[in-house]
This record gives sequence, C-alpha cells and structure tokens, in this order.
Amino acid sequence: MASLDGSTIIGESILINGNLNGDEDLTVRGRVEGTVTLTKTLVVEPTGVVKAEVQVKNCVIAGAVVGNVTASESVEITKEGRMVGDIAAPRVIIVDGASFRGRIDMGSFDAGEGERPAARAARPALSTRRPSAAPASARAEEKALPPRPPEPPVPAGLGGGKKKVIVRRK
Amino acid sequence: MAAIEKSPTPRTGAHTVIGSSIVIDGEISGDEDLVILGTVKGRIGLKESLYVEGSGVIEADIETARVEVSGQVTGNISASEKVELKADCKVTGDIRAPRILIADGAVFKGNVDMDVKGAK
Repeated sequence: MASLDGSTIIGESILINGNLNGDEDLTVRGRVEGTVTLTKTLVVEPTGVVKAEVQVKNCVIAGAVVGNVTASESVEITKEGRMVGDIAAPRVIIVDGASFRGRIDMGSFDAGEGERPAARAARPALSTRRPSAAPASARAEEKALPPRPPEPPVPAGLGGGKKKVIVRRK
Repeated sequence: MAAIEKSPTPRTGAHTVIGSSIVIDGEISGDEDLVILGTVKGRIGLKESLYVEGSGVIEADIETARVEVSGQVTGNISASEKVELKADCKVTGDIRAPRILIADGAVFKGNVDMDVKGAK
C-alpha cells in the first residue's frame, strides 16, 4: 500500500462531511461528502464513495462519485468506476466497463488547432483542410479528386464540440 | 519548531491519514485509527484511536476511545479509554477520560475529569 508520509488516505470506515482543501494527493477508500478542493490528484478507490463538488488537478475514479468534477488536467473513470454528475476537464478518459451519467465539457477548441493528433488520424475524411496531418493515402485521394468546396469546421458541423469522449478499450 | 521534527511513524492499523497540507472543515466519523498531520475544524467522532501529530491542528470537539496529542488541539476531548498529551503539544479545552496522561513539556489549559462513569 502507499506509504503514510505526506499523502492523505481516507480509510474505509471513515466518513468526512464538510469541506476538504489541500495541496497534496488524496486517496479515498471511505466516504467524503461536501466539497473537495485539491491542487493535486484525487483517487477514489473501489471502496470509496465521494458525494461532493470536486475541484482538482487530476481525478481517477475507481469507486463511486456523485457530483460535479472539475479538473484542470484530466479525469479518468476506470473500469470499476461509477459516476453521476458533470465533468469539466481538458482530458476525459472513460474506459470500457466504467459507468457514467452526466455531461462532459472538455472546453472549446478550434477545428484546426484544438484537436489532438489521435483524433485527427481517426477521422481522415475531415482532414482535407490540414494536409500535414492527413494520412498519405488520404492526401493522394484528395489530389485525384476534383477540387471540392471547403468543408465546414468539424465540431460545429457535428454539434458536438463539448461532448467528446475518448473510450480506451483494454 | 515542533512541526519540523515529527515525521509520522507508520502505525499498524492506522488506515486513515490526513496529510499536512489538508484542511477539513466539517465532521469526521469512523471506526478506525486516524492520524492527523493537517488541520481539522468541526467535530471528530471515532471508535478507535486519534493521533494528532506535531504538525496537526484541531479546532474541534473530539470523541474517541483513545487520543494521543503531539500537536495543537482547541476543543473538548472526550475519550472512553485514555488521553495522552505528549511533550510539545498545546491543548485548550476540557478533557474527560478515565485515564489522562500529561507529559512534561505539554501545554494545557482546561478542566480535567477522570471520574467518568462506566470506567473499568
């Protein structure tokens, strides 16, 4: 198990009701209700239950979370994780087996700049305005075809600029 | 100062640790040992031991089986077994427990009541 020095662990039988603030990692195996504000990582272990407004840098959910989570870096729901609430974070990872209900806001981004390489590669058909990022086959295809009118910006066209979820299967 | 010298010695059976940069405003309850290096305001109710380390600051009423204080406590302490005030601790409030130990160097202000009914 994790060492005791420095890090904070809320054990299985512990219930905290109120506001929790801190500048270090927090591992929850018990229950926390109220608000949690950290400048580091919150880890909710499988036995942990968090019913709180959560504001952290990173959040890893392997237990149960009810409430809104705002993270400045990432939120990950593992395969044991259950969550109900809204997530606001630039990176959201939901793996196969996780259960989640709520909204996700990964911030606004431009079609040309905000997207990450993985997302571009997955959608070569939408990459014609960005030849450098398109796979070689897509580029060759583009040359062969007659010129097409410019396509509309990607996320606006899909109406999903704020609802992108990356599902990583193991 | 007292805050620097104490690095928490790992205690067997202590599953819950409130780290030194953590501030909790509210209520903590549970059935296991609790080690506090940070700040807790509100109320603490445990069925086991509470350890307030040198960097720990408590502004709360405490109700547990055993309490060991090396840090600062402001509030009433009620223990069903034992309260131990270590050297360098600062405690303000009333203490109620069948066994109370105050070490040389401890600073304490408040009432002591060892005549707890039901004590064996």
